[in-house]
Amino acid sequence: MERLFQASVDEVGKLIGLGKSELSILEDADVAADELLVSEYEKYLERKYNPEVPAVLARHNLMGVPIQERYGGRGARQLVESLFLERLGQTGLGVITFVDVHLCLGSLAVQDWGTQEQKERYLPGAAKGDVVFAYGLTEPEAGSDPASLRTTYVKDGDGYRLSGSKYLISNGSIATNLIAFARPADGKGVTAFVVDTSDKGFSVDMRLEEKIGLFTSDTSLLTLDDVHVDREDLLGEEGKGLSLAYAALLNGRIGIGSGCLGVMEDCLNQVRERTTSRVQHGKEIARHQLIQRHVAFIESNLEACRWLDYRAALKKDEYEKDLRNLALRADADRLSAVAKYMSSRSAFESADRAVQCFGGFGYSIMSPVAKHFLDSRVARIYEGTDEIMELKIASSVLGREFEAYR
Amino acid sequence: MQLHLEGSNAIKASADRVYSMLTDPGFVAKTLPDAEDVRVLDGSSLEAKIKLRIAVVSSTLRMRLTIGKTAPPTKATMTAEGSGSGSAMKITSVFELSGGPSTTMRWSADADITGVMAGIGSTLLKGFATKKVSEIFTSITAAVEAAA
Ligand SMILES: Cc1cc2nc3c(=O)[nH]c(=O)nc-3n(C[C@H](O)[C@H](O)[C@H](O)COP(=O)(O)OP(=O)(O)OC[C@H]3O[C@@H](n4cnc5c(N)ncnc54)[C@H](O)[C@@H]3O)c2cc1C
Repeated sequence: MERLFQASVDEVGKLIGLGKSELSILEDADVAADELLVSEYEKYLERKYNPEVPAVLARHNLMGVPIQERYGGRGARQLVESLFLERLGQTGLGVITFVDVHLCLGSLAVQDWGTQEQKERYLPGAAKGDVVFAYGLTEPEAGSDPASLRTTYVKDGDGYRLSGSKYLISNGSIATNLIAFARPADGKGVTAFVVDTSDKGFSVDMRLEEKIGLFTSDTSLLTLDDVHVDREDLLGEEGKGLSLAYAALLNGRIGIGSGCLGVMEDCLNQVRERTTSRVQHGKEIARHQLIQRHVAFIESNLEACRWLDYRAALKKDEYEKDLRNLALRADADRLSAVAKYMSSRSAFESADRAVQCFGGFGYSIMSPVAKHFLDSRVARIYEGTDEIMELKIASSVLGREFEAYR
Repeated sequence: MQLHLEGSNAIKASADRVYSMLTDPGFVAKTLPDAEDVRVLDGSSLEAKIKLRIAVVSSTLRMRLTIGKTAPPTKATMTAEGSGSGSAMKITSVFELSGGPSTTMRWSADADITGVMAGIGSTLLKGFATKKVSEIFTSITAAVEAAA
């Protein structure tokens, strides 16, 4: 196993005890991450989506890591899933975005809130890679404030018809199914649906390739034009879609935090190698104290964020066992926000410092740390911006009556 | 930056045949992928401009390859040394042949890379080198089998 990842696995093993099947997931993740390295880098340089990601993950039976074994997944606890994402994060946030959306925002939403029939219909395919999920909450006019979303649905015989636009949707053009959020055309409350992307009226309007990073992850603008959805594809309870959306984001944020740990680990590895081999002023630059300050920053932030992410994961496991317990949910939500907020900022700053340690070559898109610098910026925006995380964390301390975004 | 790679390939030809081709600079000159201006210098060395492509970015290195017949027909060495596009590289490889009528070729290579290319880092470079080496051996295997 990769050295820093092995250290994390050992620590977590001491903490919760890892079984044979759990270790085998992590060994598979280690191999898959190595296999993805070259294609991720090549596609990043070409500024293209990397189709190798689902292919390699499916080959190593990693498309359904947290999906229960009875549905064909590997039944990983949250902390094992976090370690899996930590290792993939070393290859960059492009891979993490694909997995986080497919698993944390998509598959787990169905597993946690779907009917038995929905679980049987979608989860075995998701675990194999035949079903790929996207998550459509953001719209051109609704981002940080999803309650203002404008996609609507009307009742249509035994089902519904959905119309609207979904903007900045990861996996949007490659997904087989979209978890779409919509409000009734003539009423209140948001509802979640599982939309089949091959259905009439669904279209990919634009693949958003003009991003400043994250090229290897597919991001699309989607249009729903009177798309029919069967009644069986309403997810959760009608009118309770926002609660489901936020529960999914709770999963997703832990995943992004874990991915950011991997980014910091790779920055540390790259910086270690570069600064101990590059010689300036007659000695390796790692012997200059100001370079050591950057190394110390990355290492300390990595260690701090590791424990925030693991703590959030442990709380999430507790909450998983009692999904109706609102106090547990609030606690897990707070800790996942803290983990994502700290890890995404630390990953971006670590990548920035790694670029600095690399000097001029760090500023070349060819340098592996420049890739992290460009990619990791998004983690401070998606699945809740820095500011929204700050408001959320503050109100968890001050009380709901102080929620500033109300 | 130092890299170590190793692997093995099966070739459908006798060890004698594989050995004589692999240690013939004229044959190696014809099988090198992405090579230009290839010149056989003598019975054990050649020179070529080798294009190394990483996605959209490519570098050209002028390399000199020297073949050593260490222990015919089972063991040979090949050293490739050169520079270009701000990078320099020295690769020392050892080939060991065994078996028959099909031959198993076990190889190992140690590379020392300096300059711009070294900045890409050993993890990624190892991934690319593995891909490149596999291309080279596929090309050599196909050529030996076609000629055998
Ligand atoms: C590459 C990428 C992939 C994405 N993938 C998905 C996906 O798969 N699914 C999906 O649904 N969405 C996705 N998103 C959308 C993402 O979640 C939103 O961009 C994000 O939530 C912010 O919304 P916005 O872009 O509309 O910004 P806005 O909400 O317009 O915010 C603009 C700025 O105002 C600040 N702001 C807003 N409200 C407040 C407030 N009350 N107090 C203080 N500051 C505030 C924000 O923090 C931000 O700094 C993706 C985005 C990107 C860039």
